[in-house]
Amino acid sequence: MVGLKGEIMDVGKDAPIIELKSTSLGFDGHEVLKDFDLKLFEGDSLVLVGPSGSGKSTLLKLMAGLLKPQSGAVLYRGHDLSTLSKKLREEHLAEVGMLFQQNALFDSMTVFENLRFVIEEVEGIQQALDRKDDILETLEAVGLDHVLDHFPSEISGGMQKRLGIARALVLKPRLVFYDDPTAGLDPITSRKIVSMILELQKKWGATIVTVTNDMMRAYQLAGRCMVCFPGEFLKTGSAEDTKAFADPRVQQFIRGDVNGPLEAL
Amino acid sequence: MIVRSLNGLGDLLMYLGTVLRSALGSWRRREEIFDKSLLVIQQSLATTVFAGFFVGAIMTLQFTLQVQMFSALSYLGALVTSATVREVGPLLIAFLLSGKIGAFTSAELGTMKVSEQIDAIRCLGSDPIREVIVPRFLGIIIASFFLLSFGLLFSFFGGLLMATTFSGLPWEQYLSQIPRVVSGFSILSGVVKCFVFSLVIATICTYRGYTVFGGAKEVGDGVVQAATQTMIALVVADWFTTFILEGLINV
Repeated sequence: MVGLKGEIMDVGKDAPIIELKSTSLGFDGHEVLKDFDLKLFEGDSLVLVGPSGSGKSTLLKLMAGLLKPQSGAVLYRGHDLSTLSKKLREEHLAEVGMLFQQNALFDSMTVFENLRFVIEEVEGIQQALDRKDDILETLEAVGLDHVLDHFPSEISGGMQKRLGIARALVLKPRLVFYDDPTAGLDPITSRKIVSMILELQKKWGATIVTVTNDMMRAYQLAGRCMVCFPGEFLKTGSAEDTKAFADPRVQQFIRGDVNGPLEAL
Repeated sequence: MIVRSLNGLGDLLMYLGTVLRSALGSWRRREEIFDKSLLVIQQSLATTVFAGFFVGAIMTLQFTLQVQMFSALSYLGALVTSATVREVGPLLIAFLLSGKIGAFTSAELGTMKVSEQIDAIRCLGSDPIREVIVPRFLGIIIASFFLLSFGLLFSFFGGLLMATTFSGLPWEQYLSQIPRVVSGFSILSGVVKCFVFSLVIATICTYRGYTVFGGAKEVGDGVVQAATQTMIALVVADWFTTFILEGLINV
């Protein structure tokens, strides 16, 4: 089933945790989203795949509330993100974790401080002091409890990625956005990272949205897939449905063929 | 191009307004602001003292040749100190600081922007202007003001040393005429310029870093823009403050 621009994509059963309603967004005259609708439900694992520049990260940042739509609305549990009261905004932020494409680690802080800073900012300094055990538990879960005093520049790329994931998860969020969690990593480390994301989701339970270009990892992660092309987002269903999806662009992207309809993009 | 420049100036002034509004409630971040100021001072004190000293020395060399023509060597100290405190000292030292502190700050902020650290702060519900910009902005202003003042003090010593060794003027004579020419208003003029220049450096350099969009190349472009725009703005600000201050004295 093709979910063209403007079609509502139902990816779960209960009330949506995030809903995009007729959202449009563009940069410098280039339209990324037009009248786009999306519903994301509690417990979903949605994977966005597609060529570079197709708007995957933009869509992710829109859902996270980091970008504002030029028209339409992004709703968090039925409330418009742009008009949330301070209390709801805080609630929303405490429920959201995000791994950035380049990890966005605070390079002047140690591994431990990177996580403590998150609690300080969202819950306050005292809570950050009281929740030292939560920080250690999270770092242990991602296997970084032995490098607490290291700075991000002193640990490997895979460890930086794990630190980014730990920072996204330290508040035990209900909604986690992963922007290309395996970018720049070797296949073995990529597989380990994705397995860790799935393990942590199983352990703590969360709705996750992942952006990736790696189809193998997408299949591993996906409850549902959405294949993104510039100006168009196709709902392709589960991993198996996506593999069998009829659109030639999707097939070309999956196979990584040089020739095909995507060549002109 | 004119419209684009005016738009750019408008954006810069709106940014300055936002930073100043956020800075109003920054008392609770005083420790961080103090740390940033200290860092800037540590990074630039030696350079500023060195530059200030030689600005005074150069001015003495230049004026010696002129005042000797009029047999007015005893006025050397007064002329050098007046010109240095009111005009040349603040401007040259501000140029130097814009290259040192300004480039460092715009590169640091630009890198934070392209590596998504600023987005990460926003994702925590914090205001990056309040968290990242204000401590640096106030740190630069406080430190620049201190450094400029310190540089001016050393320019005085540079002038004095050159007068006694090169121009053959006893130090008592060098100092004697200074109070006749260098009034309280001259010192106030220098102090006002120090403040205005530090505001210019802090505003443009944090703005250029904060508005970088893209990657490493854009960070480089941002640093170059920060350096050139700061220097142009310093010259314009110097003209403007001189114009206003001289206007005030003539009222």
